[in-house]
Amino acid sequence: MFSNRYRWKATALALLAGVLAVVLAACGSSNTGSSATSSIPLKAGESPVGQQLYGKQRGGTLTVYDHEDFEHFDPGEAYAVEDYTITSATQRSLYSYLPNTTSKLEPDVAAGPPAITDGGKTVTIQIKPHIYFSPPVNREVNSGDVAYAIERGANPNVANAYFQPYFGNIVGAEKATGGPIPGIETPSRYTIVFHLTKPTASLLVGALVLPLSAPVPPEFAKPLDAHKPTTYGSEYLVATGPYMLKSDSTGKFLGIGYQPGKSATLVRNPRWNPHTDFRPAYLNQIDINIGGEPAVIGKQVLQGEDVVQNDVPAPSIVKEAYEHHPQQITFTPGSGTYYASLNTAHGPFTNINLRKAVWAGLDRDALVKARGGPLVAAPMTHFLYPGVNGYQQAGGAAGPKVDYNEHPEGDMAVATKYMKLAGYPSGRYTGDQTLQVVGSTGEPQEAMAQVTNQALQNLGFKTHLTLVDQSAMYSKYCTVPSQEIDVCPNGGWVRDFADPQTVLYVPFYGPAIVASGNANWSQVNDPQINAAMEKATFTVGEPARADAWAKIDEMLVRYAAAAPEIYSIQAQIQGKNVAGVNQLWDTGAWDYDFTSLK
Amino acid sequence: MALLFIVAALTFIFFYLFPSGNPASLRAGRAPTPKVIAEITRDLGLNRPLPTQFYDYMKGVLLHFNLGYSYYSEASVKSLITERLPATVSLAAGAVVIWLVSGLAVGIVSAVRRRTWLDRAAMGTALLFVSAPEYWLGLIALFLFASDIGKFKVFPGAGSYVGISSDPGQWFTSLILPWLVLAATFAAVYARLLRANLLEVLDLDYIRTARAKGLSERRVILRHGVRAAITPIVTVLGLDLGALLGGALLIEVVFDIPGVGRLNYDALNHADFPIIQGTVLLAALFIVVANIFVDISYAYLDPRVRFK
Repeated sequence: MFSNRYRWKATALALLAGVLAVVLAACGSSNTGSSATSSIPLKAGESPVGQQLYGKQRGGTLTVYDHEDFEHFDPGEAYAVEDYTITSATQRSLYSYLPNTTSKLEPDVAAGPPAITDGGKTVTIQIKPHIYFSPPVNREVNSGDVAYAIERGANPNVANAYFQPYFGNIVGAEKATGGPIPGIETPSRYTIVFHLTKPTASLLVGALVLPLSAPVPPEFAKPLDAHKPTTYGSEYLVATGPYMLKSDSTGKFLGIGYQPGKSATLVRNPRWNPHTDFRPAYLNQIDINIGGEPAVIGKQVLQGEDVVQNDVPAPSIVKEAYEHHPQQITFTPGSGTYYASLNTAHGPFTNINLRKAVWAGLDRDALVKARGGPLVAAPMTHFLYPGVNGYQQAGGAAGPKVDYNEHPEGDMAVATKYMKLAGYPSGRYTGDQTLQVVGSTGEPQEAMAQVTNQALQNLGFKTHLTLVDQSAMYSKYCTVPSQEIDVCPNGGWVRDFADPQTVLYVPFYGPAIVASGNANWSQVNDPQINAAMEKATFTVGEPARADAWAKIDEMLVRYAAAAPEIYSIQAQIQGKNVAGVNQLWDTGAWDYDFTSLK
Repeated sequence: MALLFIVAALTFIFFYLFPSGNPASLRAGRAPTPKVIAEITRDLGLNRPLPTQFYDYMKGVLLHFNLGYSYYSEASVKSLITERLPATVSLAAGAVVIWLVSGLAVGIVSAVRRRTWLDRAAMGTALLFVSAPEYWLGLIALFLFASDIGKFKVFPGAGSYVGISSDPGQWFTSLILPWLVLAATFAAVYARLLRANLLEVLDLDYIRTARAKGLSERRVILRHGVRAAITPIVTVLGLDLGALLGGALLIEVVFDIPGVGRLNYDALNHADFPIIQGTVLLAALFIVVANIFVDISYAYLDPRVRFK
């Protein structure tokens, strides 16, 4: 689930229609639906052919406003969108995406594409020579550093959230606690080999874009990793990317290049070797100001020069930017989904027809408005979203052909039909149970929760809507099955990387349901869906995987695994003198390796 | 000390009783395995019985003034608060001076010129400032007068604060708007309070006696009237100043001043209990200290207290 952000304006309908048409046309032209590079529209008022990545002015200092603090700079711990803006500037994973792609892998520390052998159970990767760590380590990166980076993900003091789901099939990973993993071999200084227990090479290769695969020098990090939790990334850090957090001679950045809740400073990494990297790194320095009121930050950016906002602008700022500063705002579709989870394990929504009735009756157009309008949201029709492989195969914008999905504005006739099929002849719920609905405070989540709650009441449900702080909604209610919450209207998902498995597996795979921190909010645990997911996990090759997961997507729609709300479109704003480049793969956040001053 | 202990205990209990985030789940990322959550829970010491956690916390506070470590940034709470305190003190100190000077002056003038247009205008304005939410007032001030986004580019805007040691000039100018906004509400309250008290005091016999003795009106008002009328205001001032030193949350957020209030605001958003506990304790400490000063100042202001 991910934190909110995005917004609206009515006169943008025409532009959006054009934009969506281009997306659809482009996605439709692809056999895989992978969208690879291309076709995601970028800037308001500009042709969506792609961003200019190279040939810009070098030098200068960019000021960045970010009203929220970062969570992790450690590539072994980072997982949030904002954190990735830093890790992608300071660290180099084995593979990365160019900022104008959503799925095409670019060898980064790796020297070329991976060699997959042994029926998808062995992955061999050569790494580039002449990549160096920043001071105080200074030495050349070798394959052992990549191995250590991944192994430390299993260290309880690092506790990487992606280790088990995506690296858990490496031989010996199951019992790993931070030490050497038998399934990771480094036969030479520049070669790393992964041995897998199952043929899940495609998934592993996709996951190698995660910061977890960025090399970490053991001689520097190991003593820090012994702390509970590790102080690598919270006090000390070394970089392989073009930038590093400003540090002292020992590599300590806390209090120097980072003041928690106040500021962060990225400076050039003196040991970065541009000949081994595709990043142009135009900027000399990036000064990040943490904190402030979003409406004020937004105005400072729109009226400023060498400045951008790192997180998502306030709705009023999106509107102002779109109307008065169209060259200073960008929109990135494919920034995730929002849906209302319906408890399939307990209460009325164990009845599939009731879930279908809610789906049919939910006014997704109203949800788009509540979210901020068509500039920042589109009605959701299925679980794979634009830009994710398999989206087209699963029906594109229209989604799978089922009657309860046909009218985004809500269709009470179809809803009534399913209420009757569920055993309520009047077409309205007449049971005794009051639904427990838990949403998040703050806009636009609150407004979206109200729309969903109203849809439930329209079907005759008595509801008890509780709005709590977002952190409490996540950690105390919607991710804790024992709370038996019937509906969580502020659920959603963003891919971890380009593979469609990262969109569907964790939030809908039954055996992954856990007692706390559960990401499968609807508690979907259908044997057929589970089996299909298990089979698709072993599918090799992008087109085949897109097909396999598109079929699962359709199964989830037919199962009414949740009530769809919106596809998110992310807005970002920049100052007048900034040539910003969005990371399309990272929900459109600014890419500081490619952004420059005009 | 007993009060601080009670405050610490209540904060601790409230945090666990009422809806708030589970720190281990929040730290664990998007789709954590139970193993990851369990490991983080253990690392943060959250798996121990609550009384043990509380005992260890209080032992650390009392014996070593150790307020623990942030769940979120992993930094020492003591160092975070120490680092943020100068900004909050700067904000509170300047604002206090402004609101006392303006609030008391307006209160006295209104009382002395009772029922004149000046009195009505002053009290009407005061009512406006009392009613205006601080957050809204801050935004309006920025949109009108900030040098970067304001209509009239007069004062440095949000995010311009620097420490007094790094640039005293910018420190001063960056705080002018926050001081004025913060002081506006308080000055209005103090003006209305002093006016009401002073009107009451000016009707008392000893004031009439003072006038009958031929003392100047200025001396009667300031020396005899205000001195007696100001006692309740000193009480309120103690509480207000103590609370403000614990963090002027809204003003610090709007003006992007990295003080204790904003630290607390961020901590609330992240269910970062050690910081919440630390800042609440700090606020309680300041209120206790401020009340001690209030009691002492009573003795100076009111001879009856000295006599007792």
